[in-house]
Amino acid sequence: MTATMSVFDPIAPYRVDGEQKYTTLDNLKGKVVGFVDNTKPNFDHLIEDLAEVLKSQYGVASTLKFKKRQASVPAGDAVMQELLEKCDLVITGSGD
Amino acid sequence: MTVCSTAFETLGRAQSKGLAHPDLPIALVPHPFGAIKRDGIREQALRTAFDIAYLVSPAAAPATAQAIIDLRAPTIQLADDIEAVNRHFREQRWTDGFPVIPPTPERVERMLACTSRKFDDVVGLVAPGYGAATVERIAINAVMAGCDPEYLPVLIAAVDAIASPQFNLQGIQATTNPVAAWLIVNGPIAKRLKMNGGANCLGQGNWANATMGRALRLIMQNIGRAMPGEMDRATQGYPGKFSFCCAENEDESPWEPLHVERGFRRQQSTVTVVGAEGIVNMNTRTKIVSEVIRVFAESMPRPAGNDYRTGGQPWIVLCPEYAEILSGGGLAKAEVKRLIWEQSKLPASKLADIDFELVQHARRAELGAVSRDTMIPACASPAELGILVAGGPGTHSAYVQSFGNTRSVTREII
Repeated sequence: MTATMSVFDPIAPYRVDGEQKYTTLDNLKGKVVGFVDNTKPNFDHLIEDLAEVLKSQYGVASTLKFKKRQASVPAGDAVMQELLEKCDLVITGSGD
Repeated sequence: MTVCSTAFETLGRAQSKGLAHPDLPIALVPHPFGAIKRDGIREQALRTAFDIAYLVSPAAAPATAQAIIDLRAPTIQLADDIEAVNRHFREQRWTDGFPVIPPTPERVERMLACTSRKFDDVVGLVAPGYGAATVERIAINAVMAGCDPEYLPVLIAAVDAIASPQFNLQGIQATTNPVAAWLIVNGPIAKRLKMNGGANCLGQGNWANATMGRALRLIMQNIGRAMPGEMDRATQGYPGKFSFCCAENEDESPWEPLHVERGFRRQQSTVTVVGAEGIVNMNTRTKIVSEVIRVFAESMPRPAGNDYRTGGQPWIVLCPEYAEILSGGGLAKAEVKRLIWEQSKLPASKLADIDFELVQHARRAELGAVSRDTMIPACASPAELGILVAGGPGTHSAYVQSFGNTRSVTREII
């Protein structure tokens, strides 16, 4: 029989503090949608067009747009608070 | 919800898990999205709006995230053969590409004996996966890297440092930029651990330097889940990501060492972590102080560099010979910083149009309105320029660029 050794698994599992459920919407009609622009090329144009399409075709009531200072920094606390208070849905961007 | 370009979908999904929102909807757009012409974006917006409406509706049924509360690292049984162990670790992508020392319970216990911290103390959460860096998991990765047990307190302090908000580990780990976590050790522990702050200190050959830098990368990868090509989005990376660690050459520095500059007592030991993007050799034969300052300063400005675009925290590693020349010319460290900062500005006219627009937005709060005539500093003030004295005999100093959106953090080693 081959001898064996115990070794530790060096990976940390994804850490979850309690249950994190995603809250869905019934639909987009009458909702307020916030956008956080990650400053990557063309995302500002995509937001501009998405805002118009979501309002004209999906009944979104209004949109808020915020632009981060840079892609690799988080949005500021004041922005996060305003998104939390005013928006039903927040759309962020990731990648180039 | 998030809009991700296709090449970044893996990052987006892994990041969602790490941030405890495993069911966060993601709408995909083609990569590279920045290359699409303006009229093509309108078409994409129509498709993305459809995806958004679908993803946020009840049809996208949420799943329940599982709470993971057990902090003890599990063990696995492998054949008692170092090649078999490394084959397994390699298949699991638990290494940095080099063989590892098997992290057996015995080795990890010997490592844990060098700290008074409990094995399940959480030192920090390591972005971007936000894995819990317990003392035990730090020790496991330190064993793998080949660290002596006495190195563990340095790594505990280093993990605490990289997990602090101002270091911006989230940005550093998930970026397309090539960024290493550079460890700088000061104080009596550097000699006790036989670290190198002299000849070839930024290169290979010293056990403590090499293995501690390596251990931190393994921690960032295995606990932070930043796997190359997945959450680690580095386009190319660079060799510093294997290991980047040194001591300051305090014995040959004419000034106060880094940790004293940062408010610690000389007899305290500290580790400073820097989000470093690579080294530029600065080699001059001049011994005239004003010329040294000028040629070093003029070696820094780069239109494609993050420091100038974001307002970073670059470093100059002065070899002892040139530290002595500058000090002998009557310059304190702060004055060296001021002179280099003033003379290393980049004309905004050198920036590409799109980068110029980014600088106008990103650095407005700091610089005010930026025009093409503006001279852009590498960092917000002279105090943000880091100076370290390190190296051996010779005329070579180094400019170490930073990631930009990061600030170095110093922690006491206990």
